[in-house]
Amino acid sequence: MIGRWRYWRLKTKLLFLTLFTSALGISLVCISLILVENQNYRKQLESELHVIAGILAEQSAAALLFTDREQLGSIISSLKRIGTIRQACIYTPGGGVLSALESQDTRPCPDITQPLEAGFVGDAYQLLIPVTLDNETVGHLYLTSHLDVMRNHIRTFVLVTIAVGALILLALVFLALRLQRIVSGPILTLSETAERIARDADYTIRAPVSGTDELGRLGNTFNEMIGTIEQQNRRILESRDSLERIVEARTSELSMANRELEAFSYSVSHDLRQPLRAIEGFGQALEEDCGEQLNDAGKDYLRRIRAASVRMASLIDGLLVLSRVSRQPMENESIDLTTLLQEISDELMNIDDSVPTEVNIQKGIQVVGDSRMLRVAFQNLLENAWKYSARVEKRRVDVSAVETVSSITIEVRDNGVGFDMRYIDKLFVAFNRLHTPSEFGGTGIGLATVYRVVRRHHGEISASSEVGKGARFDVTLPVSRR
Amino acid sequence: MDGRSILVIEDNPDDQILTVRALKSASVDSPVIVLEDGEEALKFLFGDGDQPSRNVESVGVVLLDVKLPKVGGLEVLRHLRSSPSTQWLPVIMVTSSDEPADLLEAYRLGANSFITKPIDYREFVEQMTLLARYWLQVNRVPNASAVRSL
Repeated sequence: MIGRWRYWRLKTKLLFLTLFTSALGISLVCISLILVENQNYRKQLESELHVIAGILAEQSAAALLFTDREQLGSIISSLKRIGTIRQACIYTPGGGVLSALESQDTRPCPDITQPLEAGFVGDAYQLLIPVTLDNETVGHLYLTSHLDVMRNHIRTFVLVTIAVGALILLALVFLALRLQRIVSGPILTLSETAERIARDADYTIRAPVSGTDELGRLGNTFNEMIGTIEQQNRRILESRDSLERIVEARTSELSMANRELEAFSYSVSHDLRQPLRAIEGFGQALEEDCGEQLNDAGKDYLRRIRAASVRMASLIDGLLVLSRVSRQPMENESIDLTTLLQEISDELMNIDDSVPTEVNIQKGIQVVGDSRMLRVAFQNLLENAWKYSARVEKRRVDVSAVETVSSITIEVRDNGVGFDMRYIDKLFVAFNRLHTPSEFGGTGIGLATVYRVVRRHHGEISASSEVGKGARFDVTLPVSRR
Repeated sequence: MDGRSILVIEDNPDDQILTVRALKSASVDSPVIVLEDGEEALKFLFGDGDQPSRNVESVGVVLLDVKLPKVGGLEVLRHLRSSPSTQWLPVIMVTSSDEPADLLEAYRLGANSFITKPIDYREFVEQMTLLARYWLQVNRVPNASAVRSL
């Protein structure tokens, strides 16, 4: 019960405390009253019996002296009128019984030659006094009294006390309830108000406050506090609304810009390629139809025109891929990177088998990301590995992965020409190249695209190399945050 | 071939010339009809009303550019597929870009093939030849005696 004490309502606690203390007090008062009354009544009974015994001794002294049994008998029987006397015996100085008052439930008169204590014995009070006449003992008087009367009296007293105690307790319950309403009422109202505010998040609600006592002050302070919260809340909501409006405006600007960009890149891919196709196509037609009319220089120019248009087209294609990996929505899927890398390397092997090539791709590399974008990225990295190792005796490309708790790093290594680490800051910037076109062809967009793909996956890319000793690219992708 | 023509719907004059030249240099001897835009193509195939014109029967395969002025290539394709007389006409969509959205939309609307015009003219000639020949072949009406002998 005490363990649940803290779960009780304040109202119940107050009521319980009041009633418990009161009941304890009333019980203590009742018990002590009963004990005192019991004691008093016994003393009263004792002295009453002594008085009766004294009178009786005086009356019976003469009759004892003359052994007047008749007289003694009438004295004894007069005792019947006193309800409290149960037994009376008159003895000769030698201890013989001269006269006795007995009833059915009394024992025979006791033997007084043996010592006999005055006082409460069993269910009766007993008394033995000498009967004297002129300071000479003429006999003894033995009296016992009923305790029934006393018991009845005490019982009545206990009942009355309990009844009064119960009445007082009842009155106290009533008072306690009133008191509780005065004390816990405002607290309950306050707590209900607080609950309502918390539940509905409605900070316009105020607690009703009455009086200027501590509870009144508590209510006022509470209301002030809610007022402050209401103001702050309003300010927060206002600033949130204005932020939302700003974000909305920005979003619509952004999506408009995005749509324009999409339309732009669509039209770039259609419209820029068309003239190139015409240049290339008519160049071809010119060579086929009018080739004989051209000298060698003319044929060379024509070849250069056509090669330039093809290069331009691959630049446009590169830019389109770059713009696509930047704006395309990202998918988040599980990818078997080993298989993907193997497919790319098989394709590259088919295209360029001029150099004996050894490819080692670690088995079971799994990543999470957008498969199309990652394909573009690793296509570029492997193409680079192929391209820049085209002049070694035996090409070697290694791909391995190192996984930590939060990320996976994929290392792509080749044994090609490598690059000068002094220019590393230009490596991932579009249109920047570390090799001349006559050394190695390229658009300068590939690694920029790789960088963009990796960044969109919240990953990192780093590169290291030494001229003539191959290059190494480390792509670190975060492990699934699902 | 069976004398049915190849319908080229292409707005760019350079591409018109190059396409016709590609077909010729690949020795595709079917007549080639060149139309400038989607509106003209619909007029040619359906006349002024919604009824198919006689021209439909003479067409063996359609080379349809995606990006056309006025009525776009995909719109023309939708028209062709919604009319019973042109529903089964082979249509090869031709485009300059490899925009994936166009390709998906074209196949969804019922295109038979899709070519991204390559920059390299020789590649274009090869692709064009293969596709035009294939679809002309597929769309050929079996001759009556062959059917009877089955």
